[in-house]
Amino acid sequence: MAPRLSAAATLERALATKRILVACGSGGVGKTTTAAALALRAARSGRRVLVCTIDPSRRLATSLGLNQLTGKPRAIEIARLAPPPARGGALWAMVLDVKSTFDALVTRHTPDTAARERILGNRFYRHISAALAGSHEYMAMEKLLELSTDERWDMVVLDTPPTRHALDFLEAPDRLVDFLDASVLRWFLRPYFVAGRLTLKVATRTGAIVFRLADRFLGLQFLQDLSEFFLAFESMYDGFKERATRVHALLREPSSGFVMVAGPTALALAEALYFHRRLTEKRMNFVGFVVNRVHTDPAREVRSRGRGPCAVAPELAARLAQTLREQQVLAGVERRAVARLEVDTRERPVLVPELEQDVHDLRGLAEFGELVFTGASAPARAKAASR
Amino acid sequence: MLLDELLSRRLVVLTGKGGVGKSTVGAALAVAARERGKRVLLVEVAAPVEAARLLGGPPSRGRETEALPGLFTVNLDPATVMDEYVRHVVKLDMLVRRILGSPIYRRFFAAAPGLKELMVLGKIMVLEEAHKRLSHEPQWDLVVVDAPATGHGLAFLKVPLAASAAVPVGPVGHNARRVLAMLRDPARTALVVVAIPEEMAVVEAVQFHRLAAGELGMEPAAIVLNGCHERRFTDEDEAEVLRLTAAGAEGDLAPGVPLKAALRAARRQIRRRKLTRFYQARLRRSLDTPLVSLPFLFREALGLEDVRLLARKLEAA
Repeated sequence: MAPRLSAAATLERALATKRILVACGSGGVGKTTTAAALALRAARSGRRVLVCTIDPSRRLATSLGLNQLTGKPRAIEIARLAPPPARGGALWAMVLDVKSTFDALVTRHTPDTAARERILGNRFYRHISAALAGSHEYMAMEKLLELSTDERWDMVVLDTPPTRHALDFLEAPDRLVDFLDASVLRWFLRPYFVAGRLTLKVATRTGAIVFRLADRFLGLQFLQDLSEFFLAFESMYDGFKERATRVHALLREPSSGFVMVAGPTALALAEALYFHRRLTEKRMNFVGFVVNRVHTDPAREVRSRGRGPCAVAPELAARLAQTLREQQVLAGVERRAVARLEVDTRERPVLVPELEQDVHDLRGLAEFGELVFTGASAPARAKAASR
Repeated sequence: MLLDELLSRRLVVLTGKGGVGKSTVGAALAVAARERGKRVLLVEVAAPVEAARLLGGPPSRGRETEALPGLFTVNLDPATVMDEYVRHVVKLDMLVRRILGSPIYRRFFAAAPGLKELMVLGKIMVLEEAHKRLSHEPQWDLVVVDAPATGHGLAFLKVPLAASAAVPVGPVGHNARRVLAMLRDPARTALVVVAIPEEMAVVEAVQFHRLAAGELGMEPAAIVLNGCHERRFTDEDEAEVLRLTAAGAEGDLAPGVPLKAALRAARRQIRRRKLTRFYQARLRRSLDTPLVSLPFLFREALGLEDVRLLARKLEAA
């Protein structure tokens, strides 16, 4: 058997070979930044990379040195960075627009203009389509499918929507397809609305009960909107289902991989562990964990030569000692949480130390990428080398 | 002062992006209100780790459970709340069983847009309006809600607005409008935005504040900046730290406490303190809303004592 690669080497190899890289994780762990940094690194090593984010705030745009990103891929100026990118390397970025992706999907799957207009004008669709449970995730998958066949890119890095449970991303499309499943909802909605009129021919008793309940909860007007929506969707359902199946197949291909981004807290890592287990169950390709904002123990980072007392005023000495102790406690807590993850998954996570300052430009993003792979930023390494 | 303001309402909704310590802030606020003699209910929504644990109380699951005298917690599971609602509306046991057992009902509930959020908010309204048995006194003096951190904290609070537009008639639409009225009533509800002194959390808090005040018609009552680093070193201390660093000073502050490592820790602390100051200033500059800072706690695991400490900070704010 080939010797196991180190965590960073596994990630580096994924950047060189994968066609799809999905960054997942719960919110607030630096997922968007990590996705962008990985994409930038792959681009600088000579690949043509597109990074697609779901995040509507301008964070990614800012870190890429732009004012705004749109639903159209935009080339990022990476040539200015030193050292210059390897031959052919280029980076694009875009933000996913859920509503317009949904509209495009409707347009693609409707047989004629009338059917299309019926859906796009439906009250239920207009108010709710963007809020449909899982529609963000579904549209992210849909976009991924579209982008994966685009010859302009060697690799697509997808930054997934922030969800409480990272796994929602994988399961939401199924839930949406379930919801739209003609065989389930249509059977109880359809018979009651013929040409927009309510009829009381009730197919089954349970159907009648559920319908009366729905009427009581939602009111006839809404049921009518809903019913029309499903009738209009009938022609599209198979297309939806087929796309969802294809996405799942695509994500299982060896050329696709998942990077799990987490924070160093016990809670975040427990979630990362759960995600890892589910990915394995689903036979998806797990690339590695990236644990961001790790607090390090200062005593492990400096080599202290002298022993014995030192000349520091007692009050300051006490404050200094307290400060060191606090940071050692924090580092210890995080170290043990990471160690548990290692034992449970037999994976070695990539640990990224807390940044000196937040990422807000392309240079900062490149620095962050350095940290992911070396645990030290470029200037720090340069300093170390000169010593 | 801030506490007076918040406790004059009946409902406090905490919101903010994941990982900012909302549940800790919620627990601290509940304890602070309890210290003032209020009967408090702390509501969580499908929380993986319950605040009850922080307070040293038994897990509450779906029931209101007393964690400390006069302080109750409840962890709402949307599916259970929905089932409860069906039972309440339908009443007939046999029908209820049939509906709850129906795959259509399950599937519809799993994917219907906003239904979960609406049900949970409706339940919160019921809790807020509940009265003691045979009495006009409210069951709870204060209900504190730790809103789920679904990507955008707004998604949760936006639902009643979307639902009242999409469902023009019927009880769901009616209830959505009642929930919306409750959330928008500044005499009843206080929205509190929680953030930490980090770029993204602060940017999001500011965005959230603007959207809430504009789109939702809910003016946030306070911003809580959690995890702040205190000023530990005086200007002279800072100068001394830099001098000792530059001089390459060696030795031990105490046995096993190397000076060099402590200096490094101190420089890091000073940098974090600067960031705290920077983000405090930025929030004060961008938003005209009272700002409360809570300290970062270096602990193995947070416990009741820590929550009490934060509660005292809230009381003093």
